[in-house]
Amino acid sequence: MAQIVIKAKNLSKSYNGFNSVNGIDFEVESSQCFGFLGPNGAGKTTTMKMIYCLSPITEGELKIYDMTPEKCAAKIKSIIGVVPQDNNLDPQLTVGENLVIYARFFGLPPNLYKPRIKELISFMELDKKMDSPIRELSGGMKRRLVILRALLHNPRILILDEPTTGLDPQVRHLIWEKLRELKSSGVTMLLTTHYLEEASQLCDQLVIMDKGRILMAGNPHKLVAEHLSKYVMELSLNGNLCADQFRFDRPKCYTEVYGSRCYVYSDSEQFLSLTAEEFNLESKLIRNSTLEDLFLKLTGRGLSQ
Amino acid sequence: MIEIHVPGFFQRVFSIFLRHQKCYCKHLFSNGFPPFVEPIVFLAAIGIGLGRHIDNIAGMKYSQFVASGLVASTAMFTATFELTYGTYVRMEFENIYDSILSTPISIFDAFLGEILWAGAKGFFFSSAVLLVISLLGFVNSPFCVFAPFIGGATAVIYGALALIITSWVKDINTFNFYITGCCTPMFFLSGIILPINELPIIFQKISYFIPLTHSVNIIRSLLLGSFSYSVFYDIIFLAVFMPLCVSLAILCIKKRLIV
Ligand SMILES: Nc1ncnc2c1ncn2[C@@H]1O[C@H](COP(=O)(O)OP(=O)(O)OP(=O)(O)O)[C@@H](O)[C@H]1O
Ligand SMILES: [Mg+2]
Repeated sequence: MAQIVIKAKNLSKSYNGFNSVNGIDFEVESSQCFGFLGPNGAGKTTTMKMIYCLSPITEGELKIYDMTPEKCAAKIKSIIGVVPQDNNLDPQLTVGENLVIYARFFGLPPNLYKPRIKELISFMELDKKMDSPIRELSGGMKRRLVILRALLHNPRILILDEPTTGLDPQVRHLIWEKLRELKSSGVTMLLTTHYLEEASQLCDQLVIMDKGRILMAGNPHKLVAEHLSKYVMELSLNGNLCADQFRFDRPKCYTEVYGSRCYVYSDSEQFLSLTAEEFNLESKLIRNSTLEDLFLKLTGRGLSQ
Repeated sequence: MIEIHVPGFFQRVFSIFLRHQKCYCKHLFSNGFPPFVEPIVFLAAIGIGLGRHIDNIAGMKYSQFVASGLVASTAMFTATFELTYGTYVRMEFENIYDSILSTPISIFDAFLGEILWAGAKGFFFSSAVLLVISLLGFVNSPFCVFAPFIGGATAVIYGALALIITSWVKDINTFNFYITGCCTPMFFLSGIILPINELPIIFQKISYFIPLTHSVNIIRSLLLGSFSYSVFYDIIFLAVFMPLCVSLAILCIKKRLIV
């Protein structure tokens, strides 16, 4: 049985009476990638901040390798690498100085951090920027630097709060590759992301949160298989087409309508294409249903606020 | 169970110190300019202008009287600016503390390091002023080498006081009230410009509670090499006030940052 690295029980956080996280339970196993999904304000960042001891917990229990944030904050923080949602690089320092100073905070001696910085900086393709001030980096470069910084001290747990926001596709794939490599070397990862594809690619387990609660938990592929039909047909409704036409007499399918978009779910691809022919649908798209569909189904396709 | 290496307390505090020192030294010339030039400007103005109209004060030339006070006040001002505007910018605009606090550094380490950095800056500023005024011939005693340490202590105290203010300021302009409303009066009431015993009695009483007054007294004695018993009380005042201020300051900033 795999070791439980992080264990939360009825974990809650309130800011002046407002409950950002409202009694959540989860367990993260060693070398797993554990995802937190949820719309803006769901409480993902707050949960992460409690784990890396930045924000004290209001109620409930949280254990990281059997240590609690109240008692062992310094120890816990020594084994966690944090990629926060907002880049917080030191604008007064250059790229290289940022890394050296950060390594110092972990008490790393020069003979350890020097080769480490060299290795990581060329991996992230930032070697040419070593002496540049932070303001001369592009948004994506800053993001890469923050990820690099989180890896300096060889963390056992990596907290990634929307790590790939603002990165170009090449770099995103590069980082996914690196994360997979880290995972197989035994690093436990917590990931929040709004890219559902990223979550289904990387996460072994995930939770979908909304308004501080967990709505659903499990393996992404299993969740999709359990809760959604295999295929979905997307089409836009225009004047002479009415959603109700799909709703009746078709027991084998399930329809959702959002504004002028219509989603028809079914386990049979053939059935969907027959329906499309029958209604003479041209601008249709039949595809596998994804985590994104499940996410939207759970949290509503409209803005909840 | 896993093995965890946590850096020791001194290593943690020193790493913070190092960060500030690195930032400061990037612009060493422009940052180091004021403590050398300010006393020259100040003393030139006093010596050439005002000094001619004033007889000796407390047994010395007026410009010498002022010069010895400047060794202390420069430490107060540098620490005050560092932990008001400096800290506020790091906290609200640069989010430096978020990144620091997600490493093994605790809030206590971070701000102790920051206050000690202010102390080091005070030491450096006091030394610079001391150097300038000794070249001008205003220093009579070899005890003057201890003066920068008092400057450092002054900076620690004023750094801590500034941090208390910073912990509840919501807008950067609010610092104007503290600096113009508190620090400037303290400068005038601490016996730098005027001997305390020539102040109205109510101000004399107030001045006793101003840390700068005590620093000025000690430094003046060190520079002249003449000590009275009151210096003993001045040292006690600073020694008691310093840890109180520092603990209170860290408590206050913790309340602000950890939510
Ligand atoms: N320091 C704070 N003080 C008061 N309320 C806060 C604070 N930080 C977060 N909140 C509130 O807590 C709730 C959850 O915020 P959180 O940042 O955890 O959301 P999130 O899931 O990370 O969202 P996003 O996807 O936008 O990053 C929000 O309603 C937010 O307004
Ligand atoms: Mg967030």
